[in-house]
Amino acid sequence: MIVMAKSNIKNDIRLEQYKNMLNVINRHNHIQEEVSNTLKATRMRSIINSYRLVEAYKADSKVAYVGEQFPTEIVYAFNMQAWNIESMAILFAQSVNIEDFFQLSEENFLSRDICSFLRAPFATMHANCYPRPNIVLSNDQPCDCLAKLGYIASQLYNSPYFSLNTPNEINGESINYLVAQINKMILKIEKELSCSFDENNFKKIVEYSNEAKEYYCKTTEILKKSYVPRVSRELLEIFGLNAFGLKETVSLCKVLYEEALEISQKQNTKKKRVLWMGQAPEGFHEIIKYLERELDIIFSAILWDGTLMSLDIENPIHSIAKRAILFHWHSDRMKENTAMVCDEFGIEAIIIANVWGCRNMLGIRSVIKEVAEEKNLKYLTINLDVMDRNNYAFNQVKNRLDAFLEII
Amino acid sequence: MITVGIDIGSLSTKSAILNDKKEILAYDVVFTGGNNRQSAEITFNNVLKKAGLNKSEIDLVVTTGYGRENVPFSDKHVSEITCHAKGIHLLKPHIRTILDIGGQDSKAILIDKDGNVINFMMNDKCAAGCGRFLEIISKALNVKLEDLGDISMQATSAARISSMCTVFAETEVVSLVAVGTPIPNIVKGVHESIVSRATSLLKTVGITEPVAMSGGVAKNKGIIKSLEDMLNMTVEVTDYPQVMGAIGAAFIGQLIGK
Repeated sequence: MIVMAKSNIKNDIRLEQYKNMLNVINRHNHIQEEVSNTLKATRMRSIINSYRLVEAYKADSKVAYVGEQFPTEIVYAFNMQAWNIESMAILFAQSVNIEDFFQLSEENFLSRDICSFLRAPFATMHANCYPRPNIVLSNDQPCDCLAKLGYIASQLYNSPYFSLNTPNEINGESINYLVAQINKMILKIEKELSCSFDENNFKKIVEYSNEAKEYYCKTTEILKKSYVPRVSRELLEIFGLNAFGLKETVSLCKVLYEEALEISQKQNTKKKRVLWMGQAPEGFHEIIKYLERELDIIFSAILWDGTLMSLDIENPIHSIAKRAILFHWHSDRMKENTAMVCDEFGIEAIIIANVWGCRNMLGIRSVIKEVAEEKNLKYLTINLDVMDRNNYAFNQVKNRLDAFLEII
Repeated sequence: MITVGIDIGSLSTKSAILNDKKEILAYDVVFTGGNNRQSAEITFNNVLKKAGLNKSEIDLVVTTGYGRENVPFSDKHVSEITCHAKGIHLLKPHIRTILDIGGQDSKAILIDKDGNVINFMMNDKCAAGCGRFLEIISKALNVKLEDLGDISMQATSAARISSMCTVFAETEVVSLVAVGTPIPNIVKGVHESIVSRATSLLKTVGITEPVAMSGGVAKNKGIIKSLEDMLNMTVEVTDYPQVMGAIGAAFIGQLIGK
C-alpha cells in the first residue's frame, strides 16, 4: 500500500541533514576502537559504510528506507541507496552517546519501555539526521514493528510507502503470495519514482549477491573447524549491512574469507564455544570483550538458513520471497536451525540475549532453552539494552556472566 | 587448612571461617555502607577475633558478592551464585534447589548432588522482591525489619500489593495504612508479593525438591511460611542463612586447597 501523508519535517534538505549528522558525530569525536586489533575486512567495511553514508546524503541520490533483512537486491536494481533505518541507528548509538535522542523519542510520546531498536531510529528521524527518503519500503520479519516504523517514517517525510507482508509458514502458496507482493512493489516504485526496473541490472545484482554469499558461506565453514577470533563478529556485521547485491560486498566477503583462512592456519588456541542468540552489542562492547577473554562466541544470525541461502538466477524473485519467509523467527525452524548449529559448530553453551522490550526474543527464548536442555548444554539468559544505556548496567550483567563462566 | 570466605553484599558484608574438617569456627556480619573494602577489612578482623586466630594462620581468603573484586587481600573471587550453592551443599547436601534473596537481588539456583550449579535465574532491573524492599517497607510502616516475620503471623488476611516497583510499592503500602488496613495484613501482603516473584524465578529454573532458602531474607519466618504455602512444600533453612555465601566461599577455599 502506498501512503502519502503530511510531512512533519520542516527542513528536509539533505545537506542540512548531513550537517546535523556530522554535528552529532563531532560532539563525540573520541576513537573507541583499537584499529590495530581489527580485521582487514572490518576496516574495509567501515570505508564501504562511510561511502554509502555520504552517497545517501547527496541531493540527487535516490534513497529508499528499508528495514532489517529487506530484499535490498530490488533496491539496488533501481540504483537506489538502501538506508536501513534500524542498522544506521545502531551504528550511530554504538559510536556516539545518543541519550538526547532517546529523550527526544520520549518527548514524542514513545515510552522508554519500548525496544530501543525502534526508539533510536524514530528519534534519529525526529532529530532530522537521516537523509530524506524518496520512498519507504518495509517488511515485517522478524519484527512487525519495522513495518510500523516504516509507516511513521513515510508520514514524517511525506514519502511513498510500501510494506511487504511476510507469511510465517513456508510453502508454495506463501511464497507465491510474497512473490506477487514483490512484483506489485516493483511496479509501485516504478510509478512513484518515475523510473524503470532494469532486468539486466537486477540479474547482475543477483549474481553479486550470490558471489558474496559464496565467500560468506565458505567463511562460516572455516568456523566449523577452527577458532578464528573476531570473524564470527564480522560475519554478523556483514549480515547487518544487508548489502549482498553490491559489488563491493563481494570484495568484502572475499577479503574476510581469505583473512579467516589465513588466521585459522596460524591459530593454535582453542576456547569454549558459545552460541549467542538474540541481538548482539558491538564487537568492542564491554560484555563482548569480557566474554571473549575466555570464550569463542558464534553469533547465531550468521548461520540462519535465510542468511546462508543463495538466490536462483533463473527465478530470483521467487527465491527472494523464500528467503524473506525463512528470516521469520518461526519457532520450529528456529529450533531446528539452532540444534543443527549446536551439532555442527561444536557449541558448548548458549547465551540468550534479550533486549528490553523485544517481544520476539521473549517469545523465542523458550524454544532456545528447549534446544539447550535437549542437548544438555548450559545456557544463560541476560537482559540488556545495547543502545539505551539507561536500561543497562554492566555490573548487573557481569554477576550473571561470572556465574555462567564458572558453571561452564 | 583454615580458610575465610567474605561475602560483600549491597547491604551487609559477611565472613566465615572454616577449618579442614569443614567446621564453621566463626562468622560475622557488618553493614557494608559506602566503603565495601573497609567493611571487608572490618568483618575479616571481627571473624578472626571471634575464632581466636591471627591473619598469619589463614591459608586462603575467597571473596564473593558485589564487592568481591575490591578486596586487596583476596586470594580468589567467585560469584555468589556458586558460593551459595557450595555453602548450602556443605550444610545440607541433599538440597537440589536454592532460593537466595539478598539485599538487592534474588536468585533461584538449581544444583546437582555435588553442589555444582546446573542452572540459575536472577531478578531483573528492580529490587522489588529483595531485602532492600523489606527494609523500605519496614521504615514506611515504622516497624523493625527483624520483627516483620512475627508481625505477619498475626495477619487475618493478606493485603494485595500489586506493584512491581519498590518505590511504587511503598506508595501502595502508605495508601493501605491511610485507609486503616491492619499492619500485619500489609506485612503479609508484602511477603506474598516477594514470594510470588521468587516463585516465578524458581519455576523458571525448574524446582527440584528438596528446596532451601538462603540470604538475609531467609531470616524472616513470614517469608518462609508464605513460600511454603505458595510452593506447597517444605522449605529448609540453615542456621546461618545470611552467611551462606561466605560459608560457601570458605568451602571453595578448602576445595582449592585440596
